[in-house]
Amino acid sequence: MSLNSKILAVVVVVVLFGGIAVSTTLGWWATESTKTPAAYTEGDFAGQANPADIRGSYTFGDVSRAFDIPAATLAQAFGVTAEEPDTFALKDLETLYVDSPVEIGTASVRLFVACYRGLPYDLATAAETYVPASAAAVINAEGQPTAEQRAWLETHTAPATAPTPATTEGTAAPVETAAPEPVATPGAATEDSATRIKGRTTFGELLDWGVSQAAIEEIIGGPLPDPAMKVKDYATAQGLNFETLKLALQAAVDNQVRP
Amino acid sequence: MVKMLGKRIRLFRSRSIWVRKVVQLFFLVLIALIAVNHTLAESGKGWSWLSNASLHALCPFGGVVTLYTFITSGLLVQKIHSSSLVLMGLGVLLAVLFGPVFCGWVCPLGTVQEWVAGLGRRLLRRRYNHLVPAKLDRVLRYARYLVLAWVVYVTAVSGTLVFSAYDPYFALFNFWSGEVAPTALVILGATLLLSLAIERPWCKYACPYGAFQGLFNRIRVFSIRREPSTCRACSLCTTQCPMNIPVDTLTVVRDHQCISCLECTSEATCPAAATVTFSTGGKR
Repeated sequence: MSLNSKILAVVVVVVLFGGIAVSTTLGWWATESTKTPAAYTEGDFAGQANPADIRGSYTFGDVSRAFDIPAATLAQAFGVTAEEPDTFALKDLETLYVDSPVEIGTASVRLFVACYRGLPYDLATAAETYVPASAAAVINAEGQPTAEQRAWLETHTAPATAPTPATTEGTAAPVETAAPEPVATPGAATEDSATRIKGRTTFGELLDWGVSQAAIEEIIGGPLPDPAMKVKDYATAQGLNFETLKLALQAAVDNQVRP
Repeated sequence: MVKMLGKRIRLFRSRSIWVRKVVQLFFLVLIALIAVNHTLAESGKGWSWLSNASLHALCPFGGVVTLYTFITSGLLVQKIHSSSLVLMGLGVLLAVLFGPVFCGWVCPLGTVQEWVAGLGRRLLRRRYNHLVPAKLDRVLRYARYLVLAWVVYVTAVSGTLVFSAYDPYFALFNFWSGEVAPTALVILGATLLLSLAIERPWCKYACPYGAFQGLFNRIRVFSIRREPSTCRACSLCTTQCPMNIPVDTLTVVRDHQCISCLECTSEATCPAAATVTFSTGGKR
């Protein structure tokens, strides 16, 4: 049996648009987040919402509804003092914590929710995730973390850094309450934040800070990538632990700043 | 031929699969409009009659890279939605039946490369698409499988869309948004530049989704078939193939690079009727 081009054209268009129509009817077609996290599929928590599926597009209100944690508690944990914390989008946390020595973002909320509710979470995937000290304080005061999660918190609490005032009107304001006692993080807080390696630091910035190409190549064990590439993206692409790489590079930066 | 401003203009070569160009143009315009609408919708504007889905939601490759995470945990990788899995399924269905028609008929990046190829053909004439030494070319054709393996691995390990920082397709439809990594823009620029000398360089050497689709060339139901008894051995089919497949030496094209464009068939290039056809293995 032969096909000509006109029939093939019709079949291609019909299969694609027909398939989309059928999947829409069946409820399979979604091009944006439903704001409802996927549920655990097995174990004691099967059927319950899984914090690992929390997305950056969620608001504190979405998280609150899915996990029964008051939005005010989430706002307190992450130092957000917006008038309506319900509408605060998680993706705005990175902007809010722009001066933090470690990245605070959507992944931090996932971990906070898991620890607060004592829900299962693969901590092996959270080696580079940190929660603010204020979130750790809330978990310790009100949460139900497992012993494993409690141990994780001890090494993954960011030093107390007040969030930067948000530039988006009405989304957030600086923390006015006293920050909880800082918890030590390897190599944190004492160095100059202008030359502190963060998730968005590029190799070009390392060169600008005076670290030689040879020194970078020795640390990363390979040729210098595109200077515009973020160190974190490089670590992910190479399957390296970002925190380990960051500490080694930070030491090289500090040697340049304070020889 | 159409008459525009008093002149008769030829839109397609006299013998080419013109309906493919129409389908390609349709999908390119559709995706471009949706990408613009996505940007407009973020600022509260946009057209309500058109989808404002993100490009990630409309890319079948998103379904491929999230497959591991979906099977092992029931979750989708960040920025990927169930629409990507649906499109991946439809892409597989089409590929099992007809080979990588998604690459040859739908993918807008392939279309743009073909447009640039038109310019390259005028500049280089017969040398166009024949500049890479055959031995090197043969090895490089498998590089896209390394890219596919790397992308699937790093996505599974990190749970994030690492490839979007290198994706020229994402860059093509988002260069105005500020979301595109410089590396992706550089790769897009290099792809377009190389298209002046090589037809579809991204598809041939680097596209991980093309690599995935290419696997189905081995088992597809409808294939490009050449009838040796009526073949005039003119090699026009081989000359015309954008992917440099030696169609004139084969009876059934199972090459992993075929994109089912049908340009080699008797409907377009082959001068002998019913000699190079798009057909099943049974009696015609």
